[in-house]
Amino acid sequence: MSLASIVFAVLGVVAVAGGITTVFARDVTRMAIGLGAFLLAVAGFFVYWGATFLGVVQLFVYIGGVLVLMIFAIMLVHRSPEGSPELESRHDVAAIAVAGGLFFLVVTSLRGAVPDSVDQGISSGTAELTDAFLGPMLTHFEMGGVLLLAVLVAVVVILGGDER
Amino acid sequence: MSVVIITVGLFCIGLYGVLTRRDLVAILASVEIMLGSATLLLVGLAAAGAPLGAHEGAVEATGVMVIVLAAAEAAVGLALVISVARRFKTTRVDELTEVKG
Repeated sequence: MSLASIVFAVLGVVAVAGGITTVFARDVTRMAIGLGAFLLAVAGFFVYWGATFLGVVQLFVYIGGVLVLMIFAIMLVHRSPEGSPELESRHDVAAIAVAGGLFFLVVTSLRGAVPDSVDQGISSGTAELTDAFLGPMLTHFEMGGVLLLAVLVAVVVILGGDER
Repeated sequence: MSVVIITVGLFCIGLYGVLTRRDLVAILASVEIMLGSATLLLVGLAAAGAPLGAHEGAVEATGVMVIVLAAAEAAVGLALVISVARRFKTTRVDELTEVKG
């Protein structure tokens, strides 16, 4: 068993454990920690596959931004005098059937798409990424900027409306 | 093939969370898991040598775009959650029935 496959297995275990904690934890703090573990493992996977820039962006935006935002929202929303509240779930057979059925369908239909070759990693670096963003994907890049501006305005409108 | 099983499994864990959770913040966290695992599948397939993307850097660029979209979604979603919590004093989806027909 090579070092690479050990790293892959550890990342996989951390990601799945984080995901399961996020979905099943009854405590809000545990849910946030599980989400953090999942996002960290995803960043690790990106670095493992050679998409270093993507891994760093994932670390900055998700763990530095989205996770902190989520913890802030939890602190603002779940303020109760009697300790931290319990998150409820309504587990039933239909949800298990939908999730399991989708898993089966997608895995069987993607079986042909996975090449048999060994992992070669992503060969393109930051230079190719910049070329893509300033060349064929320039429209996407610009639309991303417009979207972020719209989101900024939308958040101010949603939260600032009833302050007076 | 292990890439597909792990990422699709994570996506379905997130889907199960969206379907069963009763709190808005927890539902948003499950959606983040679904988005993250979808990007993971894209990058994983590209790393395994699947012919994705018309030009070099397209996969990474798409990944960056997904991260940007997810950040935007989280910002608007959490703002809506805080707005709902202010107005209705709860974030449980069972109790938010005002616009229910």
